[in-house]
Amino acid sequence: MMKLSDITKVYGKGSLEVPVLHGIDLTIEDGEFVAIMGPSGSGKSTLMNIIGFLDYPSSGTYELNGEQIASAKESILAKLRNEHVGFVFQQFFMFPRDNAIKNVASPLVYAGVSRRERTARAKNLLEKVGLGDRMKHLPNQLSGGQKQRVAIARALVNNPTILLADEPTGALDSKTSEQIMKLFTQLNEEGKTVIIVTHEEEIAAYAKRIITIKDGRITEDRRVSS
Amino acid sequence: MNIWDSFKIALSSIWNHKIRSMLTMLGIIIGVAAVIIIVAIGQGTKKQMTDELFSTDKNAIDIYYEYIPPEGETEVFWQEPELTSEDIETLAEVPGVKAVVATNQGWGMMTHEDEQGEMQITGVGAEFFRARDIQVVEGRALYAADNDGLNRVVLIDTIAREKFFKETENPIGEIIDLNDNPYKVVGVYESPLPEQFRNKETGEMLMPRTVISMMFGNREIEQLQVIASDPENISETGRLAADTLTVEKGLENGQYSTNDFEDYEKELNTMISLLTLLIGSIAGISLLVGGIGVMNIMLVSVTERTREIGLRKAIGATRSKILLQFLIESITLTSLGGLIGIGLAAVGSILVSEFSPITASVSPLIVLIGVSFSALIGIIFGLLPANKASKLSPIEALRYE
Ligand SMILES: Nc1ncnc2c1ncn2[C@@H]1O[C@H](COP(=O)(O)OP(=O)(O)OP(=O)(O)O)[C@@H](O)[C@H]1O
Ligand SMILES: [Mg+2]
Repeated sequence: MMKLSDITKVYGKGSLEVPVLHGIDLTIEDGEFVAIMGPSGSGKSTLMNIIGFLDYPSSGTYELNGEQIASAKESILAKLRNEHVGFVFQQFFMFPRDNAIKNVASPLVYAGVSRRERTARAKNLLEKVGLGDRMKHLPNQLSGGQKQRVAIARALVNNPTILLADEPTGALDSKTSEQIMKLFTQLNEEGKTVIIVTHEEEIAAYAKRIITIKDGRITEDRRVSS
Repeated sequence: MNIWDSFKIALSSIWNHKIRSMLTMLGIIIGVAAVIIIVAIGQGTKKQMTDELFSTDKNAIDIYYEYIPPEGETEVFWQEPELTSEDIETLAEVPGVKAVVATNQGWGMMTHEDEQGEMQITGVGAEFFRARDIQVVEGRALYAADNDGLNRVVLIDTIAREKFFKETENPIGEIIDLNDNPYKVVGVYESPLPEQFRNKETGEMLMPRTVISMMFGNREIEQLQVIASDPENISETGRLAADTLTVEKGLENGQYSTNDFEDYEKELNTMISLLTLLIGSIAGISLLVGGIGVMNIMLVSVTERTREIGLRKAIGATRSKILLQFLIESITLTSLGGLIGIGLAAVGSILVSEFSPITASVSPLIVLIGVSFSALIGIIFGLLPANKASKLSPIEALRYE
């Protein structure tokens, strides 16, 4: 369970201060499927980064399974990022000189998984996201949508309990989007917590809970019964 | 994530920037190559000079006469005192002296039947055979009586025996001709000289030194050497023997002295150490400059790869893993430079040995020191950039344009 209380985030210092999040209170139970929506610049990515242990909030508390981690040490957050969450970035981010397999397997390097197992798991996931025929390709030899799918495979490779995806279908056509969302639904049914950021209603419709953010505040939090 | 993975990441990033890496390594390469080649040449020179100094027996020391003009006078012509067999006996009594070698030298044209050859003749006494451990393979050695009685007898070495006599022929008792005078061969000996110093053409011969003195007009004793029973005390024994001889001869305007090997060796050592230190510090500065170059490139690399670092952190790399990765990268860079430098130094040493009289050799120890030292430079100058990389916040690093 994740419990964020009165989380704020302010970028910059002094006269250049940009307050982005204003007192976010949010509790997400294990196994939920949440979609975060809101206009551009409202702070969705900022919130995702904090949820995904990538950034520290400026104030407020963050409890993960009963433990305070809002000001935990870097090494603890690194371990959480490595073992607990899979993160799909809005801009994908890849190692440009490594092929798809190596990119997907990269988190496992830091988890101390053997080379053979790393490759096996990466190949398996690439098949799953429909890139069985692009395994040896470098990122610059892949289309935007293919890169996004590599990024998803990478987020899944460490078998995380929480999957965070910032606009996972932004660069995909509707057919591939549907495939990806079905994959997310399936992963959620397997017990993973899935949190996605999207501005498409059809994508958000896959989730069981939709949170809307405006100007760094939660303006709506509704559960969808399908 | 183990060291091997970090090492592979480091190697591939060095490989991806071949030219830049090569230029960065250049300072280290030159520094290490310079250090190693200078040490190699220094050691080679030292070995050569010591070999030359101590080419004869380690426990033998020369005694020579030194003229000291009386005060106010600048006498240029002086006579060296005559030494005789009695003096040698006196020297043999000096504590610490095992044996005395007193010789003179002559050259002569030896003829026997059809064979002819220029020969070096050493005039010796009976004591010479024991002192130099001469192996007489045929016939006999020289006796004291040969010197006293001016017996015109010679011993030829095995090389001369081969040249002048047939193998089946018995040379003992044969009369040979030396500068148109007859001498009787009484023995054949194995030359005690090391292979490279022997006269392989005609060989050499031994003769009573009194005979050389008479026939050639030399002084009876031209070279005097004492052999110490304990090589450790050679300098002291030599000095004692020289002083004894000075007193014995009642010399006023001169004295007997020895070369002090220890002083020589010390002087040589200081000279070489000084030279090594001087050039070593120049090489050290080159290594320092090389190290700064490595640091500079590593800082550039960290900046360039900010996004990569951010991504590594985002997927779970801890600070220490990032630190290790960049440290290994800079260590690999400098060690590689060190290895190339050692290779260059090895080639340089071979060239020096080939085209100069000095034998420069790269010792395994120096290779080990060279590699560890360049690795150390990698650690020292890689620490700052690696630390900088490890401290980046993941999300800020990812957002870096
Ligand atoms: N490092 C930063 N420094 C200053 N301001 C920042 C920084 N990062 C984000 N912001 C600002 O914070 C606000 C929220 O950014 P964020 O990326 O969270 O928006 P978003 O909701 O994800 O938008 P989008 O839908 O376009 O991705 C924006 O106004 C942005 O300009
Ligand atoms: Mg965003």
